[in-house]
Amino acid sequence: MKRHITGLFTILAILIFAFPVYAGAPLDSVKKCVNEVIGIVGDPKLKSESAKEIKKEKLRVLYKQMFDEIEFSKRTLTRNWNNFTPAQREEFVKLFEQVLEKAYGDKVLSYTNEKVDFYKETMLSANQAEVQSRIITSSKEVPVFYRVIFKDGKWKVYDVVVENISLVQNYRTQFNDILAKDKPEQLLEILRKKVKQQ
Amino acid sequence: MKTYLNLFMSLVFLFMSGCAYGSHASPSAVTSTHIAQPAVAPVSATAQTTSKSAVAAAKPMEEEYVEDEFDEYSANAAREEKVKIADPLEPFNRAMHEFNDKMYFWAVKPVAQGYQKIVPEPARISVKNFFSNLGFPARFLSCLLQADFKGAATETGRFTINTIWGIGGLLDPSSGKELNLQEQDTDLGQTLGVWGIGQGFYIVWPVFGPSTPRDTISMAGDYFLDPVAYVNPWSVRLGVNIFDKVNSASLRIGDYEALKGAAIDPYLAFRDAYAQYRYERVKARKAKWSSPAPAAGQSPEGGAALPEKVK
Repeated sequence: MKRHITGLFTILAILIFAFPVYAGAPLDSVKKCVNEVIGIVGDPKLKSESAKEIKKEKLRVLYKQMFDEIEFSKRTLTRNWNNFTPAQREEFVKLFEQVLEKAYGDKVLSYTNEKVDFYKETMLSANQAEVQSRIITSSKEVPVFYRVIFKDGKWKVYDVVVENISLVQNYRTQFNDILAKDKPEQLLEILRKKVKQQ
Repeated sequence: MKTYLNLFMSLVFLFMSGCAYGSHASPSAVTSTHIAQPAVAPVSATAQTTSKSAVAAAKPMEEEYVEDEFDEYSANAAREEKVKIADPLEPFNRAMHEFNDKMYFWAVKPVAQGYQKIVPEPARISVKNFFSNLGFPARFLSCLLQADFKGAATETGRFTINTIWGIGGLLDPSSGKELNLQEQDTDLGQTLGVWGIGQGFYIVWPVFGPSTPRDTISMAGDYFLDPVAYVNPWSVRLGVNIFDKVNSASLRIGDYEALKGAAIDPYLAFRDAYAQYRYERVKARKAKWSSPAPAAGQSPEGGAALPEKVK
């Protein structure tokens, strides 16, 4: 009998600790991260040109908290992920992040005073959700959706959908095309070149 | 063209990476660990991590690199909508993509940059509003053809108000908070899509850019529904069209460059972006078509009112 009660308590405890996580959490956690990014980019103390590196460093830390970069890479490679050796996977994740940082880093830093409005979250499954937001500039509104997954007690972004275009799918199309003809090593070589030339 | 998404702003925050992973054990060693525990459900993963905390703490990421989630990813892939587009004309399209790319960097961009320096942004936004107001007949007709009478009424209201109180369409008072009449984001291509006509294949037109047979019909139809098409003589008409293009390009300088810079194969990146963008726009209109009574506040493309803001 005692054992049953203990078991019951364990289950209750798990339920109690597991549930509150879901209530409104995806939206709030993405919003919090985005606000932190805006805080760093708009920090008046870091306005000078020389502070750019400091800002980038801070944003990198934040990126790690906000994004699940492995999930991100896996989803762009889908099945091909299995054809990569663990070492290749690790290199791929790293290179892919560098490509993205180079492509979008300066855009992020050029952020001025656009308003970001978070207005909706939709559960896609038990542990996945989509958080919808818009960026409002003087001439237009840009819908930006974040797809998040619950892992290790945190909601992490694994895809960003801008104006209905999914970043993950966009890269998936490109990587699939390359991997249909070439080996993983060749894709890595293309990425290495891309990172270097930028 | 709007397609060139302002990927940036958002992506924004992303991609500041550059993590340093801990030193890596030999792949074979890691793999064998993994084989011992093939099922990596979230709960059991936690348990495993605790049990071999020493290893895990030293290299917290390795397990993720080794996980073999073939099944899970096939399942996820099915859940995500696959947007594909046939591309039988790829060699031709790639050549046209190159041509348009050169045209942008050699002609459109320099002109738009010069124009941007002379004309302040509020004036350029007014010009954009003016041309967009002239697009009323095409949007109105598209709404009607999709049996979206509410949208057609909204468009009519916008056109009247913006033409009279918005000084011939230079201002956009109707989209303000009080009236909240938003532009109906639709065209003839979406109408054909709603009617069930497929997109066909991908084609890149010189100057006009990415399209499909369906959207090409739409481009032609929308063109003839635009009053600018009836401006005479043709030289003035061409001038007006170019002015419109340059003006809208001046509001988006940098978007194309950023998307191109982010791409591994820019041609494929733009093709996929175009396919996804059109797919979603048709889907949004279809949703309206099949459920014509969505309460104001459910339109995904900013139609009536957006859902209540969560602040």
